[in-house]
Amino acid sequence: MYVVRPVELADIDALEALAAVPMPGVHTLPKTREKILAMIEGSIASFAAQVDIASEESYLLVLENLADGAIAGTAAIFAAAGSNGTYFSFRNDVIQQVSRDLNISHSVHALTLCSELTGYSQLSSFYVGEREQGTAEAALLSRARLMFAVLAPHRFSDRFFVPLAGVTDTDGGSPFWDALGRKFFQMDFLDAERVIGGARNRTLIVELMPHYPVYVPLLPGDAQAAMGQIHPSGELAFNLLTAEGFEADDYIDIFDGGPILQAHKNSLRTFTGALQRRATVAPELRDRGREPPVRYAISSGAEHNFRAVIADCAALEAQVTVALPAEVLDTLNIADGDTVICVRI
Amino acid sequence: MLVVRAIQADDLDALYVMATQVGSGMTTLKPDMKMMGDRLAIAVASFAETIAPEKRDYMFVMEDTDTGRLAGVCAIKGAVGLNEPFYNYRIGTLVHSSREIDVFTRMETLYLSNDLTGSTELCSLFLHPDYRSANNGKLLSKSRFLFIAQFPHLFTEKLIAEMRGYQEENGRSPFYEGLGRHFFKMDFDHVDALTAVGKKSFIAELMPRQPLYVAYLPDDAQEVIGKVHTSTAPARRLLEQEGLYFEGYVDIFDAGPVLQARVSELRAMRDSVLAQVGNAAAPDAACATLPDPEPLLVSNTTLHDFRMILSQTAPVNGAVALSAAEQDALRCADGDAVRTLSLNSRKNPHV
Repeated sequence: MYVVRPVELADIDALEALAAVPMPGVHTLPKTREKILAMIEGSIASFAAQVDIASEESYLLVLENLADGAIAGTAAIFAAAGSNGTYFSFRNDVIQQVSRDLNISHSVHALTLCSELTGYSQLSSFYVGEREQGTAEAALLSRARLMFAVLAPHRFSDRFFVPLAGVTDTDGGSPFWDALGRKFFQMDFLDAERVIGGARNRTLIVELMPHYPVYVPLLPGDAQAAMGQIHPSGELAFNLLTAEGFEADDYIDIFDGGPILQAHKNSLRTFTGALQRRATVAPELRDRGREPPVRYAISSGAEHNFRAVIADCAALEAQVTVALPAEVLDTLNIADGDTVICVRI
Repeated sequence: MLVVRAIQADDLDALYVMATQVGSGMTTLKPDMKMMGDRLAIAVASFAETIAPEKRDYMFVMEDTDTGRLAGVCAIKGAVGLNEPFYNYRIGTLVHSSREIDVFTRMETLYLSNDLTGSTELCSLFLHPDYRSANNGKLLSKSRFLFIAQFPHLFTEKLIAEMRGYQEENGRSPFYEGLGRHFFKMDFDHVDALTAVGKKSFIAELMPRQPLYVAYLPDDAQEVIGKVHTSTAPARRLLEQEGLYFEGYVDIFDAGPVLQARVSELRAMRDSVLAQVGNAAAPDAACATLPDPEPLLVSNTTLHDFRMILSQTAPVNGAVALSAAEQDALRCADGDAVRTLSLNSRKNPHV
């Protein structure tokens, strides 16, 4: 069995090993032990914080294989993007060009530097090991962040977004960057990402990036083709998130043109489909011969006691309790009668 | 003899014949009888001073007095952009700089502007190929400066001339292909034709409103910004000799340069002089070594029948000798005032 839980100090070695997997242009985890430690400490402090208004908290979850205690993946959620500044992105605009006298009307696609995503809660740092790619556990890890937001809504915004890495070639070059950012930054894509530390909230973005709309038809073909395209490593995340209810067409990343998925919580399945139920210990074999079990992600805890697991049980729509094996209750760190939320996977 | 003169109502047919000989890219002279008739009517009213100065359009034709044939045409518009917007791109600069990471980027931009609204415009210059020799082109182009020098009160302080932009031999405009086509979705010739029939401002409604970074354009489009059509290069040089200069405004379609000047700073304003037609007499002893006279632009001083010729005479002590034929061409007589200007700017005016 796997469990998703808040990161702990003891996880640092495992995270350092995960971060060592080389993936140019993809920013999941910081590369140095020092920074990883800072991220873990930040997460622990965030889970412990008494939050009135979402701000700089960042929560890091890990997927642990209980069979061997290995960390199989990570996923993070920032309470409010761009805190300490502004979160910059390109908004996809359609500009209508109309001449009544010539009876001509057509639309032009333009990118506008904007800060609209500032204050949204941001999902990031999603990574699962090769063994767990495409499994229900990967889906659990991705969704656990939103389940935590369901359990602790005061810690988050009503809107969420997820930037996914854009297309880069084998040398780490980005066609979108070459057509746009390079002209202003005068440096290679990877150098720019290194300089800025993967952040999108720095003042230097305003100083260097274009303030006026970028007319897409003026960009070279390969740059246009890269807009909104995901890096192959992001496919799993993209599929999970679009199935969740995230939409991909409104914003793209200012550096590599990768898609930024965003949604209001009311259009996310985890929020609309979460069922709050009292957990009971399932009597052994009781379900035999009845309707086939349904697979649920089940979680509880609005602080560092947050846990999420997968469990099969009878459909819950018509029930007030959820019957779970004792070991699941143990893993969730709850007792018989405690409240959990359940979402179909 | 070639005379440049104010256009007359009965020049319409000859003008039409000439307009059929202008290629694509000359936007102001299209062989359209209705348009030409309208324009001619305005020109005649302009010389007759029956319409307001800012609405005037002074058209001049070059006539071969031996045959009565029209050899060329040129015009001065009193003011542009007062009926419908007059658009240009202004080349600007935006600096993007970050001290934090020590990046300093200087970017050229194109701003859609109406800055030149109200300027007096030199336009519609066309010289028939049969006459493209000797000093004919200079005579035709520079006649307008003599006219302005004679009647400066009719014009605004700023003078401009839009030059035809660079095109490849097959007529392709790299700037248009790199920019305008994305917004108009029509061929350059089509846009050009619409411009000719006075629909330029309508087309401009389809242009991006926001400043553009030049760096977004393909290299071949960037290279031709402010560059004239090969066949227009001599015309540009003539205007520059007269005091016009490129100050960063270009056409929104082909990026041809707009040359501009302050009327008060034109060579013609500084150097042209009035002289009396008469016997200039033999130069006195002090001037005995007078060199061969340089070609001299000579015009009469009558607005409604302005006429100008090129002469090999030289003004002496406020008098200028003109042959009977020259006097006839200028419709002036002994004792009348004429305005004179050396055709070429002197290399060393102080010698």
